[in-house]
Amino acid sequence: MVTLRYILRDTARILIRHWILGFLTLMTAAVMMWILGLATLFSLNIQSLLLRLERDLIVQAYIHKDSNPESVAVTIRRLPIVADVRSVSPDDALARLQARMGSQAKALDLIGENPLQWSLEIHVTAASGVQGLVRNLMSMPEIEDVVYSGMVVERLSSMSKMADSATLTMFLLSIMITSLVVYNTTHISLYSRRDEISIMFLIGATRSYIATPFVLEGTLLSLFGAAMAALGIVFTYFPGVRILQSTLPFLEIVADRRVIAQFCALLVAFGGTLGWLCSCLVALRFMNSAAKPL
Amino acid sequence: MNIKFSDVTKIFKPDIVAVKDVNLEIKRGEFVYIIGATGSGKSTLLHMITRETLPTKGSVSVGNINLKNMRDSEIPYYRRDVGVVAQDFKLIPSLTVFENIAFVMETMSVPPTLVKYRAEKVIDQVGLRRRKNMRPLQLSGGEQQRVAIARALANTPSLFIADEPTGNLDYHTSDEIMQILMSINASGVTVVMSTHNQSIVDTYRQRVLELSQGRVVRDEPDGRYLE
Repeated sequence: MVTLRYILRDTARILIRHWILGFLTLMTAAVMMWILGLATLFSLNIQSLLLRLERDLIVQAYIHKDSNPESVAVTIRRLPIVADVRSVSPDDALARLQARMGSQAKALDLIGENPLQWSLEIHVTAASGVQGLVRNLMSMPEIEDVVYSGMVVERLSSMSKMADSATLTMFLLSIMITSLVVYNTTHISLYSRRDEISIMFLIGATRSYIATPFVLEGTLLSLFGAAMAALGIVFTYFPGVRILQSTLPFLEIVADRRVIAQFCALLVAFGGTLGWLCSCLVALRFMNSAAKPL
Repeated sequence: MNIKFSDVTKIFKPDIVAVKDVNLEIKRGEFVYIIGATGSGKSTLLHMITRETLPTKGSVSVGNINLKNMRDSEIPYYRRDVGVVAQDFKLIPSLTVFENIAFVMETMSVPPTLVKYRAEKVIDQVGLRRRKNMRPLQLSGGEQQRVAIARALANTPSLFIADEPTGNLDYHTSDEIMQILMSINASGVTVVMSTHNQSIVDTYRQRVLELSQGRVVRDEPDGRYLE
């Protein structure tokens, strides 16, 4: 109880003593966490879009007339990239064509016998594996031809990679800047009280007792910075989503309030943990050098 | 607590010999003056007792514990049994007299009621009741030194180290401080005090250890400042 009172009192003292520095740290942490949050949400949306496009991506494989479509389907189903395989009979294919042609479907009657062949509709688990799958299918003797949206697949794949690397860069940059700022602030607090710290050591205070207020300072600054960033995300993300949805209504953007709330909670927890780790590290280093006998 | 220095040498980098081949023993309950010119090694000797400095060679034992072998986690607990007073008082300026003294006990998680009782008792002991809510910078040098003594007494230490406690004080105030230190010693606490003050050593006659260029050149029970 006494210790807790001391820790809270001293943490408040440290924060008040260096309030300008603390404020700047808080703002930097908030801005960096906000950028980190938005970058992650951007990546989340790209991933969600890719997932949806991948789900709709179909590779069409046309079977030779003398081959058995069911046995070919069984072989293809075994491939790891394949999510689902559906066989389409010539009659089904003709019915689809007629439906697509609408009033002009009567023209098909002129052809006489159904010219269409058995085909397989293959759904994949990831767009990035389609090229390999197509090569695989082309090497199968039962398959006559393969049709797929090659350009779309390539773009999807490169977009996914770009989004991933952009998010990773932002993530690392935000962590680096926030860590550096929290580390420096805690270090300045420790350094400005080095005389008091040496007295504390002399009268028998333990390292953890001396270090805790400084660790709490770093943790609180980072935690509140992350909380401000979370608020910033709520106030900027939803209006942004509304504008995007009104101009590009076909875009499906992650806007579930529960998901965003969970994401913000995660961001705050991450900020607090980052602050705690940085201030623990600097306090540990400082204590080790301050307590070292001559 | 007995203190034993065995063949102790301390060399600071690059090659400053602060203490050389010191062998001495201070028995429990003794009062010992350490005298000598500036740079003779007095403070280094005291810092080795508080384990702020480790010997380059030899060993320092306090109460049969070799301080060199002490683990880092054990040092705070050892220091709580050693009261330290310095020439520059080493008080925390942001805390009041009462808080400076209470702080020592707070580090040990002593219950608040006991902290208050003990702090007020030692404040009375050094005669600072009226000053207990003032900050160190609002006090005179003698008063600050009394706060430092009160703080050192707060944990009822069995060893009291005073590094030139009267160095910044006038004769009258030094005399008051000495009377407090004598009463501490009379209660059975071992007191080791470094000083330059000839009149104090000659007035309050105790064992005298004289250092010169890091070596013990005189060890005289009931001695005077000058041979």
